[in-house]
Amino acid sequence: MTGRAERIGLLALPGLSFLAVIYALPLFMLLLKSVQIDGQFSFAEYVAFFSDSYNLSVLWRTLRVALLTTGLALIIAYPTAIIMARAKGFWLSVFLVAMVLPMSVGVVVKAFAWTILFRTRGVLNDTLMSLGITDAPIRMLFTETALIIGAANVFLPFMVLPIYAVLRQMDSRLPEAAASLGATPVFRFMNVTFPLSLPGVVAGCAFTFSLAISMYVIPSLIVGERQQTLSMLTARSFLYLRNEALGATISSILLLIAISVVLTSSWAANRLGARQ
Amino acid sequence: MAPPAPRDMGDSKYLDVTAVGKAFKGTSVMSGMDFRVGRGELVSLLGPSGCGKTTLLRIIAGLTTADSGEVLLDGRAITSAPAHKRNISVVFQSYALFPHLTVAENVAFGLRARGHAKTDCGPKVAEALALVRMSDFAERKVAALSGGQQQRVAVARALIVDPVLLLLDEPFSALDRKLRETMQVELKTLLRDRNMTAIFVTHDQDEAMGVSDRIAVMNAGQIEQFATPSELYARPASAFVMDFVGLSTRLNGEVIESTENRSTIRSAYGTVHAPGTFVPGTEVTIGVRPELVKTRAAENTLRVTLADAMVLGSKTQLHGRAEAGDCLLCEVPGMNSDYAPGDTVTFGWDVADTLVYETGT
Ligand SMILES: Nc1ncnc2c1ncn2[C@@H]1O[C@H](COP(=O)(O)OP(=O)(O)OP(=O)(O)O)[C@@H](O)[C@H]1O
Ligand SMILES: [Mg+2]
Repeated sequence: MTGRAERIGLLALPGLSFLAVIYALPLFMLLLKSVQIDGQFSFAEYVAFFSDSYNLSVLWRTLRVALLTTGLALIIAYPTAIIMARAKGFWLSVFLVAMVLPMSVGVVVKAFAWTILFRTRGVLNDTLMSLGITDAPIRMLFTETALIIGAANVFLPFMVLPIYAVLRQMDSRLPEAAASLGATPVFRFMNVTFPLSLPGVVAGCAFTFSLAISMYVIPSLIVGERQQTLSMLTARSFLYLRNEALGATISSILLLIAISVVLTSSWAANRLGARQ
Repeated sequence: MAPPAPRDMGDSKYLDVTAVGKAFKGTSVMSGMDFRVGRGELVSLLGPSGCGKTTLLRIIAGLTTADSGEVLLDGRAITSAPAHKRNISVVFQSYALFPHLTVAENVAFGLRARGHAKTDCGPKVAEALALVRMSDFAERKVAALSGGQQQRVAVARALIVDPVLLLLDEPFSALDRKLRETMQVELKTLLRDRNMTAIFVTHDQDEAMGVSDRIAVMNAGQIEQFATPSELYARPASAFVMDFVGLSTRLNGEVIESTENRSTIRSAYGTVHAPGTFVPGTEVTIGVRPELVKTRAAENTLRVTLADAMVLGSKTQLHGRAEAGDCLLCEVPGMNSDYAPGDTVTFGWDVADTLVYETGT
């Protein structure tokens, strides 16, 4: 029987070799580039990167935007996932389509759509002014707030779907048992539904954070060059500055952040899973 | 946990379900359901799958809202009270233990929901766990428990809050036969000691007979009969109840003659007599409990060819060859290997022991 299981394992081989050649190998070469100067092993590039206060401000902005995007997406996604988990038939299809369809619309298209909404004489400002809430248009485009709202919008499905999946397969008897034991709806949510949905929350946050920390197109279109993020800095190093070592260093830093997010979240998911 | 309240059995109305109706998407599951339970009674809801037992239980617990009718508990209308304000505990078929909590945390849940601090729950939790002999497992994860242990935890969790009523939906169905019997005895003793009013849902008639003071036999959203186990067995109100509770010899036939309280019925195996007066020509079903059938001539006598003789230990069952829909069954005490399939034997029983129902009622 073990022989058979091993042979079935061979089915993963094409996928694994594809990943190795297309993903792991170039990444490894990139990593190598960031710790080599003239063929010598050195951390000098990293030291240089971290001693530049501009770079640090970009790093901090990238982390902050990713965190806030994840938080905003979570706040919007959780109630949506609850409603979806309770929906049946037609309404469930409507929700699923509403989640999946926007993914097929390119980010570029979406970003231009937001421009119509957010710009100085855009829909939002016109509405605010005609309602008398503000006198002069508020600058919304090219701000971090607009970036976070836009990013949370694009990544929303990656937050909703894992939470929805966990809530959907939760035994509906559990909240009922809690109710029959005298638990109010709030107590039920805090002590049963929410803790049991944590694996979905962790997965959703890991997806969204990883996507948000490495996003390039969305910040380029919404905030432009003035407020750089790590991905934009990487692109600039490679494309304009022709500084491959710097690009490789920033890429490696991004990669390390992504790896630690994945490891932490899978560790957290495992722990949560073991509790159940 | 409260001191035992006086137990009042019989037709009192501690729990009073009146004219309750429920439909799912236009399909009526029950209508005009009346169901009354006395304080301290242990009652079973017995019936085939899909007859509405769980639905009735959920309406009583407040987990499903009734379309019509009223539910009163101890004289107080609870029809529209939400589940968490009823103080009615439910033990679910799957036990529904909280997988992210330990055994002790599961048991403490009801106390914590009532605002007790985590640290204050200790003694009561220990007491409740001792009650179900699960003290050694307090810190375990519930996933690491066997079915029987999970059931005990579910019972402890339900009892710790001193419920005014305990509802159990097929609490034993996930257990193997041997364990089921042990748990039935244990749980019955436990509930009796605490004078708990409890309703068991089951579709196992032995379980219903064993654990309850009274049994409500349900069929298609109706209660066909609500009586003590012995009454139910000796005087079933309908052919359905007779079939559902215990085994019986069962024949279909037609009344050919009927005098004062005695009818003659023609069956496929010969004429038999039964108590009661019917219009000649009426289609009837007659039944006799198998231990009342003897292997000698009596007031009713049939010659039967055996299809099987099953030695079951404390009794031996003789199955006669019968047409579809009929059943010829005789039980003789002890292990008896005098009979073999193909033998022709005499089945005899008294008119007074004969149950008779108009077919289709
Ligand atoms: N939520 C629901 N939606 C639609 N129909 C339902 C729902 N709950 C129950 N029903 C229907 O109501 C009827 C009674 O169901 P119920 O669960 O009360 O039966 P039961 O007697 O408990 O059966 P079992 O012994 O199989 O548990 C069934 O026909 C069932 O399909
Ligand atoms: Mg049921």
